Amino acid sequence: MKSALMKFLWWFEHRLELRKTIWPVMRHPIPRDLRTQVGWLYVFGSTAMTLFVLQIITGIGLGMVYVPSAGEAYESLEHINYEVELGWMLRAIHNWSANGMVVLVVVHMTQVFLMGAYKYPRELTWIIGVLLLLLTVGMAFTGQVLRWDADSYWGLGVGVAMIGRIPWIGPQLVELLMGGPTMGADTLSRFFALHVFIIPGILFVALGIHLYLVVRKGISEPPVPSEPVDPATYVEKYEEKLKTGDPFFPDVFLRDAVFIGLTLLVVVGLSAILGPKGPSAPPDPTLMQVEPLPDWYFLPLFAVLALSPPSLETAIILIAPVIIVAALFLVPIFSGKGQRSPRRRPVAVLAVILFLLCYCVLWQLGVQEPWSPHMSAWSGEPVPESMIKGRSPKQLQGAAILQEKTCRNCHALDGRGGQRGPDLTDVATRLTRDQLVRQVIQGGGNMPAYGKEMNRDEVDALVSFLETLKPDGYAAAESSVVTDRSD
Amino acid sequence: MTQRHAIAIDTDNSPPRTARRLRWYVLLPLCCVGCLDSLPGKPTEADRYRRPDTIMDFATLYKQHCSGCHGADGTLGPAPPLNDSMFLTIISDAEIKQVLDHGRAGTPMPAMNQKQGGPLTDQQIEALIAGIREKWGAKSSATSESLPKYAVSVHANGQPVGDPIAGKQTFADSCASCHGEEGRGDHALNDRGFLGTISNQALRRIIITGRPDLGMPNYQEAGEESGAGKPLSSEDIDDLVALLSSWRSAETDESK
Ligand code: HEC
Ligand code: HEC
Ligand code: HEC
Repeated sequence: MKSALMKFLWWFEHRLELRKTIWPVMRHPIPRDLRTQVGWLYVFGSTAMTLFVLQIITGIGLGMVYVPSAGEAYESLEHINYEVELGWMLRAIHNWSANGMVVLVVVHMTQVFLMGAYKYPRELTWIIGVLLLLLTVGMAFTGQVLRWDADSYWGLGVGVAMIGRIPWIGPQLVELLMGGPTMGADTLSRFFALHVFIIPGILFVALGIHLYLVVRKGISEPPVPSEPVDPATYVEKYEEKLKTGDPFFPDVFLRDAVFIGLTLLVVVGLSAILGPKGPSAPPDPTLMQVEPLPDWYFLPLFAVLALSPPSLETAIILIAPVIIVAALFLVPIFSGKGQRSPRRRPVAVLAVILFLLCYCVLWQLGVQEPWSPHMSAWSGEPVPESMIKGRSPKQLQGAAILQEKTCRNCHALDGRGGQRGPDLTDVATRLTRDQLVRQVIQGGGNMPAYGKEMNRDEVDALVSFLETLKPDGYAAAESSVVTDRSD
Repeated sequence: MTQRHAIAIDTDNSPPRTARRLRWYVLLPLCCVGCLDSLPGKPTEADRYRRPDTIMDFATLYKQHCSGCHGADGTLGPAPPLNDSMFLTIISDAEIKQVLDHGRAGTPMPAMNQKQGGPLTDQQIEALIAGIREKWGAKSSATSESLPKYAVSVHANGQPVGDPIAGKQTFADSCASCHGEEGRGDHALNDRGFLGTISNQALRRIIITGRPDLGMPNYQEAGEESGAGKPLSSEDIDDLVALLSSWRSAETDESK
């Protein structure tokens, strides 16, 4: 029995000769220094790759049920969520594993960057890696579009508007992507093709080259401050190290396997507990109450767009991404040798910290979504009772007018309401009656002018109410040179 | 139970045992699927997105569309309370529907019907009316016959019926103690910003029901506490509305 099986296998081996090709690759030596704790920093790349494989598997599953047509996509997602046995789990895993993949690719890159592993002779590995990052982001974005709900529809709109501003080729590019000058019937099929054929195809090839380079050029040894990279001697020294190295399989691979296992547990756990994302409201621009939000990794980008002054918008949209991507690609060209240890590369460490800080701050802004009005606050957020009690009949009318004129969609009272304009809870300590009247009638900043929409009585009542918005015992604002804005 | 046990014993090592094992092979995966179905991440009907115009639940509808002005629980909002059993006794469903469909021109009450550019369907408006009645309607048997009627009566020219001169006296007797001589003072009513943004219908309603949430007495209390010592009559209320309305036009004339 056993020998029959062996015979069977040998028949294949005789023809495939895997022992001469794959096996040596599996056994390629890894520097001994990785045996210490530091070796745990080398597990992110392979884990990201595993999630990619998981994406393909779950993606194929979803592809069997998903209908990539504008009219039916939303319904087919609901079908997967509610009717297909465990379909929701498939969608959940695909979503959480996608999130994990984005995170791990970035973590992997950060580790490579901080440890100077992109330097000679692994510059090309890094450059292909940057390409892989862009492709991963591309997968995330196109995947979000396939969700085809209000969030995705709106996100696509913003993305397309960005592309449309590229000089010369912008409009043509938009047409190519969307299958027409505007979002239409063909748009979803184009993005479906991008998400399941084109980008994954390129990703496969790039990943192949990346892996080839990783194996050919070897895993970088942990940096030592006293051993800067010198292209003249590096390879020789490295090969010396490999002589005492450990084989990748199974010694080093075990560590990867542990981390991969943990990550898969987290992904499945998140899917089981939090479930799939959306679909939220259907992509119907007439649904006014929908307040769209992009997936979290794009939030900072949207925050930048929303907060940048209109005059700089185009520049920020078009120039900043080019600079950032170019910088990433060119890193190994400009600093391809010399010191690798992060302890001796303060600029590199600072750059990473700065990037993380910017990302987190912008993300926070994105979460609060201060630029987008809360469309239903005017009829759905009660005026705090403390602002009603003890008010005169006219002030009460003013409070109703504040609601009716949708001021609450941009302005909070006691923290509830839109965040686009300042919270008005204490506005009377800042502005005098004249200033309040002027603000309402003329608007200014990002606030519309209400002069034409309200008669004198309404403005009178509204401002009388605003005048009461100050803490008990506080004096009202007085006109002064400093606070009197003459705009 | 025992019987089944017995069967298991005397059929030991015989085909049914394999059958039982087989049963487990079928049952276990089914069990697992069952467990998976009870995971917290599994989307339920409650997670399914519902178009706003399919929501029929009163609490949700009220919260989203009315609480901003009429208060979280139908009181203590800037607009007249809906959570007021006297109000709900005198107003008819048709009258509520009229307000919801068309809003009140010249006041902050917006048209709510989709046909008038609002957010709600006819069915949702019906659901709101039913919900308001069920939640806040009169629990007692008080009938509208014993109360002043809701609707404000108007002349052909749109002016409210009633005598503003007589209204002056009623106001001095029943209202001035809180709202000041001639309606001027701390709780002024004689003020363009107030009268210019509220309808006569709302004035009449507030005189009848008062605003219990803010300490404004209803027509019975206001009348009984005045010199007259009896509830305001339907005529008194007409006169008061006519008076307030005349203040409104006087103010407008002044401002021209
Ligand atoms: C589209 C959003 C938007 C709407 C709607 C809106 N505002 Fe504003 N409002 C703003 C913004 C933004 C500012 C800050 C303007 C600036 O920086 O000069 C502002 C400023 C103000 C200020 C000055 C606050 C301060 O502390 O300086 C007042 C008062 C104000 N708004 C009242 C109103 C009232 C009353 C309404 C309704 C009639 C209203 N706003 C509607 C966006 C809005
Ligand atoms: C933007 C503020 C606002 C919103 C939102 C609003 N109302 Fe009103 N409502 C008012 C005001 C102000 C009045 C009094 C109008 C007047 O002067 O006649 C009023 C009057 C009414 C009246 C007549 C009350 C009376 O005393 O005659 C009813 C009934 C009513 N609203 C129901 C509703 C319902 C139900 C909703 C939610 C679907 C709603 N309103 C939403 C402001 C609002
Ligand atoms: C016991 C004192 C008191 C008396 C008497 C009184 N009111 Fe009021 N009234 C109030 C209070 C309190 C309010 C709430 C607004 C405020 O505090 O100014 C109010 C509010 C009003 C409002 C506006 C309600 C709104 O929602 O904007 C009207 C109209 C009104 N009263 C009319 C009258 C009339 C007419 C009379 C005489 C029949 C009268 N009131 C008698 C205390 C009183």
